[in-house]
Amino acid sequence: MNNTSQTIRVGLFFLLGLALAWITFESLNGGHLFKPRGYTLVAGFANLKGLKTGDEVRMAGVKVGAVQLTRLAPNRVEALLTIEPGVQIPADAVASVEQSSLLGSNYLGVTFGTPGGPLLKDGEEIKTKPTVDMSEVISQLGTLGSKLEQVIGEIGKSMGTGGEGGGIFSRIDKLVTDNGPKLTESISNLQDITAKIKNGEGSMGKLINDPKLHDELLAGVSEIKLAAADARSFMSDTKGIVADVKSGKGTLGVLLYDDATATSIKVKAKNLRELSDKINGGQGTLGKLLADDTMYRDLQGVMKKADRALDGMGDSGPITAVGVVAGALF
Amino acid sequence: MTAPAASSYTASPFVGRTFGVTVAGLNKNFGRTAVLKDINLEVKPGEIFCIMGPSGSGKTVLLKHIAGLEHATSGEVRIGEFDAADPETRNKVHLALVFQAGALFNSLSVYDNLALYPREHRQCNEAGIRERVLHALSILSLEKAANKFPSDLSGGMKKRVAIARALVMEPQLLLYDEPTSELDPVMSATLTEIIATLREQTAVTSIVVTHDRDLAFNIADRVAFMMDGRIQGVGPRADFKTPADPVIANFLNPVIDLKNPRFKQLE
Amino acid sequence: MNHLTAIFGHIGGTLLLLVSSVKFIGTLPRQRARFIEQCYLIGYTSLPIVTILSFFIGSVLALQSGYSMENFGAKQFIGTLVGLTMARELGPVMVAILIAGRVGSAVTAELASMKVYQEIDALTTMNIPPERMLVLPRLAAILVMMPVLAIIANLCGWYGGALVCQYTHSISVDSESYFIALKTYMKPKDIIDGLVKAEVFGFVIILVCCYIGLNTRGGPREIGASVTKAVVASLILILVLDYFVTKALLFA
Repeated sequence: MNNTSQTIRVGLFFLLGLALAWITFESLNGGHLFKPRGYTLVAGFANLKGLKTGDEVRMAGVKVGAVQLTRLAPNRVEALLTIEPGVQIPADAVASVEQSSLLGSNYLGVTFGTPGGPLLKDGEEIKTKPTVDMSEVISQLGTLGSKLEQVIGEIGKSMGTGGEGGGIFSRIDKLVTDNGPKLTESISNLQDITAKIKNGEGSMGKLINDPKLHDELLAGVSEIKLAAADARSFMSDTKGIVADVKSGKGTLGVLLYDDATATSIKVKAKNLRELSDKINGGQGTLGKLLADDTMYRDLQGVMKKADRALDGMGDSGPITAVGVVAGALF
Repeated sequence: MTAPAASSYTASPFVGRTFGVTVAGLNKNFGRTAVLKDINLEVKPGEIFCIMGPSGSGKTVLLKHIAGLEHATSGEVRIGEFDAADPETRNKVHLALVFQAGALFNSLSVYDNLALYPREHRQCNEAGIRERVLHALSILSLEKAANKFPSDLSGGMKKRVAIARALVMEPQLLLYDEPTSELDPVMSATLTEIIATLREQTAVTSIVVTHDRDLAFNIADRVAFMMDGRIQGVGPRADFKTPADPVIANFLNPVIDLKNPRFKQLE
Repeated sequence: MNHLTAIFGHIGGTLLLLVSSVKFIGTLPRQRARFIEQCYLIGYTSLPIVTILSFFIGSVLALQSGYSMENFGAKQFIGTLVGLTMARELGPVMVAILIAGRVGSAVTAELASMKVYQEIDALTTMNIPPERMLVLPRLAAILVMMPVLAIIANLCGWYGGALVCQYTHSISVDSESYFIALKTYMKPKDIIDGLVKAEVFGFVIILVCCYIGLNTRGGPREIGASVTKAVVASLILILVLDYFVTKALLFA
């Protein structure tokens, strides 16, 4: 092996190493290692909640920088953030410590702020807001759940068989079943009549269906008059039935003219209306749940957080597991 | 002391001066074994001083103390005014040790073995180094071996390369450890000549550890005899031709007795 | 007790060797040739075995984690697991173990034989400190070569894992989602941590192997004993240091 070729090989080998290292870093970090460092912002908090050096700074979930340093200042703690160059953060953007997993890894979330507004410059301070603890959120969720359960139970009671004289639904149900046969009969009669009319049976049918009869009709008006007389007597019969109903005879009569039943139904209806009014007005827990916007948004936030937390847990699972195992060993 | 004008060898002159060696009250223990016991020696600048003695008598250990490779349990070794045990001394004294087995760098060619010292100490440019190395090789008639590797060389060649490597260092103190052992008589004679000639040309103090009588009696200015870690006797080489001490006499002129009762059982 | 003092002696000796080697750092530019030779021996010639080994380490890692992560329905995280494990742990450690076996043993054998055959003594009498000529270029070479080997090991391991994920029926995670998972949860720090570890391991291996080689005493038989000692010491140090370096890097 002569010296020159040895030197060349070693040189090539070393360059290969450098190239591979560069490729590795470049692909891992989007070339971060060799990019300018960006600018620094200061974020002051009452409680950092375990935010530590190296944690990410995210704007709408996108990494825009990292926590460079955390330090104690009089009456607060400060985090120095390194923001990637080219990322513009408006002066009214708000930073808060967010949890990316239930197991405790944090990041610093930054809101968009007003687009087009004045921008934060190097060394300036970003606005912050304290964040709710995960444990608080979970305990609030617990109480909310039990209240919801109570409300749903009450609604069920008033709708079902509970309460005086049976619930609304049971009463309506009874009404329909009791009069079932009669109703069926009337409906089949009606069907009969229309069928007969269609087939040209009976006077009415013939009148409509038979063209010849039209002439006969014209010819025999007297007969029509006769028919009219018949019709009159039918009407008086009908009147009789209506009078019966009016005087409270028969089931329909009872339903329509029995005072007690009527008031009972009225009360139920009123209750229902009240309930829905209340719900609309945002009173009561269920009402709040449905009508109060903030509550709804809070809840949504919580769900999102939980969702993200679960995501985060899934993501960091294996690494954390390795960490836990290592921690347990030593 | 000036080198003779006409000589079969021409060596580079030593740099500056040469050094005497003083050993005072030197003791050395390896664990519980005392290897050197109260050694006192005075080697004068420019002389060839032979240390003789049976194997295991501590000659090489003494030489390593002079070279600063071993540290005394008590007592001290001085090279001129410098302490041999102090690493700094090496910056002040050019000391060369010719090891028994040569101790050539196996990964380097003969040429590179010789060139290592001037290269490491940046004494001259590559052309100057080349001149010096080839010169040293030619003194020991090793020109053909320049590109060989130590593993390709015979024992005698290795020793000559080792001496050549010492020469390139332009030593102010030359130590030889058994320079003629394992060599045939002709090669031994050649090396003896080389040692003497080098001293003549460069006036370098040479300390030779050997049990080669011919070497000691032909070129040594003085001889020390070691036995069991002690100096048994020191004197001019003439004193040792007919030594008074029976132990020394027995070593130098062993009687070969085929009727020795010790070997009876072999028969 | 004797054992304990011996261990302290070795630790002290190793540190002294380090100090006396680093002292000569200024001579490195003119020891260029030696440095490049060591780079060649340590780095370039280790390339094939590092590639093959880390490729299969990555593959096995993917296979095993695919098998066990199926139970959690977490197959999509195989890329993350293989990526992090290779970069943070197995890449550096396996390369270090390989270097200990392949380079460390050779270094010890070479220095031990130089010691036994008095070449070291010859250097000393020639006023060429062995630390300068033998130890420093090796230390410098391992520092330069170790990150290169580690990054190659990482990439080979990742691709090995990706191939296994794609072509194993019971796993079948396509390499695109494998690499997305890998990228999403890998930070440059993970890679850098791994490289730092590799650097520490390589440096310690070479230092210890040099120390043991230079302190060989006795005859040729001791060369073998020294090599064994050096490899065992290297392996122990790799795994012990692994814990402490990891801890330091994670919580520093």
